[in-house]
Amino acid sequence: MTTVSSQPAAIAALPRPRKNVRQRVSGGPERGQWLRFALLAAITAVVLIPVFVTVVLAFLPTTGGTTPTLQNFVDVLSTSLVGQWMSNSLQVTFVTVIVSVAVAAPAGYVLSRGRNRLVSGYSLLLFVIQSLPVITAVIPLYILFANVGLVDSLLGLSIVYVGTTMSVATWMMAAYFDSIPASLEEAAWIDGCSVFGGFMRIVLRNSLPGILSTAIFAFLIAWNDYLIAIVFLKSDSVFTLPLGLQSFFQQNTTDWGSVMAVSVLMMLPPIIIFAFLNRFFSVGGIGGSLAGR
Amino acid sequence: MTTTLTSARSAKEQRPPRMRRRRPGASPLTLLMLAIPSIVLIALISIYPFVYAAGQSVRDGSLISPGSFVGLENYRTILSSPDFWHAALFTVVFTVVGVFGSWAIGMGLALLLRTRVPASGVFKVLLMLPWIVPIVVSSTAWNWLVATPDSPIPLLFKLLGWGQPLFLADPILAAITVCLFKVWVSFPFMMLMTSSALASVDGSVYEAANMDGASRWQQFRDITLPLIARSTYISWILMTIFCVNDFPTIYLLTGGGPVQATTSLVVLAYRAVFQDFQVGQGVAIAFLMTLVLVIVSVVLYRQIRKSEIE
Repeated sequence: MTTVSSQPAAIAALPRPRKNVRQRVSGGPERGQWLRFALLAAITAVVLIPVFVTVVLAFLPTTGGTTPTLQNFVDVLSTSLVGQWMSNSLQVTFVTVIVSVAVAAPAGYVLSRGRNRLVSGYSLLLFVIQSLPVITAVIPLYILFANVGLVDSLLGLSIVYVGTTMSVATWMMAAYFDSIPASLEEAAWIDGCSVFGGFMRIVLRNSLPGILSTAIFAFLIAWNDYLIAIVFLKSDSVFTLPLGLQSFFQQNTTDWGSVMAVSVLMMLPPIIIFAFLNRFFSVGGIGGSLAGR
Repeated sequence: MTTTLTSARSAKEQRPPRMRRRRPGASPLTLLMLAIPSIVLIALISIYPFVYAAGQSVRDGSLISPGSFVGLENYRTILSSPDFWHAALFTVVFTVVGVFGSWAIGMGLALLLRTRVPASGVFKVLLMLPWIVPIVVSSTAWNWLVATPDSPIPLLFKLLGWGQPLFLADPILAAITVCLFKVWVSFPFMMLMTSSALASVDGSVYEAANMDGASRWQQFRDITLPLIARSTYISWILMTIFCVNDFPTIYLLTGGGPVQATTSLVVLAYRAVFQDFQVGQGVAIAFLMTLVLVIVSVVLYRQIRKSEIE
């Protein structure tokens, strides 16, 4: 199961030959197909109501009327710090993604190739850490970071984010490495390549889907986080977008047009990334990774 | 990947392996070196705070002063407080509904998407949106939809003659709404997990079942479910962890209210620390919860690994 499910291609592989067998049983492939299409379309429509509402309200004028307008976006970008918040969020997310992959990849390689007591102990440790609530870690980290000036700083926030991605990112990388035959790097070792060199030049170079999958995961953690940001960031010039958006609610009346405009700006990057890279994103590997060693 | 495979092979054939050189292999030391960045990070971000928190939970400190040693006083206060038990109960309800609700929907959609359906690729991406969209954004949209009596959903209910429910003001309705919100946020994750498990099931087993005249439900119950059982258990464990530790889904939609109706243990801990400045008590709440969660997780984790070996 580990090898099969850890390949993103396994998810992407859609129409399966055996379906023909089933469809014949359920009476005509054509009709069944469109019935299922209608059912899926209806479910999707209901599920997406909140997203739809957000987009519509963002483009509707707050003064009333139904002509779509960009006025809300112009307003929030000119009168609030949204531009700054977006830049902060992008910086934090960028650092988190790069560092997270750079640290999780070698660790995942150890999990994938090492087979001894220490490695399986390390695997169990990752599992225990994943089940610790962030709230327990946040308070001591706040005190620790306050002593070294990392509170109210984007760097401090990024460090915590990288820490919170570690378990899942390591599993994801390990799951992908499992799908790369060890004979590849062994051949390189025989040719005089070091273990580290083999990892960098042979394994990592062939792991783009695994790296992208891990990167998308780290991106979602950093871009969407609210709890860690609300504890670590105090001044509105270093706010990330989630805190910025929440700050709109502290005024007496909620300006829904502005709130939804910021919301749209905020959900665009993850949606764009996912629309283009979703075929690389696989969480199935986590399961195999967890139970496989 | 195929190209590298062949090139590595041909390189090997051209140059005969130098046998005098000891085959390096990945020595334990090399593996340790590769894992060190992650170990340091985990020690700093996860283990150190956890140990520190254990210390805080037996002191009466605030965010700035360590306070003095009070023994198990914090734990005694918490365990005798009805708020704690109410929050514990809500956490259990929230987790059970969150795990099995999102699993049932995710499983249903994964099965549907596995069949031949026009534009299934588009549906896959669209159905992932609840999980991808930031909670801050989706909770805002949900709030707009249900919060006040004049919001669209209560108005729709009125139109249908079902009264004009106050989804976030009535304790029971608020609890239901928060659980529904969690299911809405989480089902795509379960759908992904189930999809990848289903993809690894060998299709030929169904052909045999078809010949034996097994109904679809029988095939699902007796073939599909057992074949993906291990992956299902893992997805339950992961979702349990996600639900118990969840903060934004609850806090951003209801703030834990009305009164205490939707206060989970994490929200209670957050309030104790950042609103009442009872750091010791807040950490003790989180610590108790963690202890239970870690014990449950480790037992289940071992169970899965045992089933793997057998």
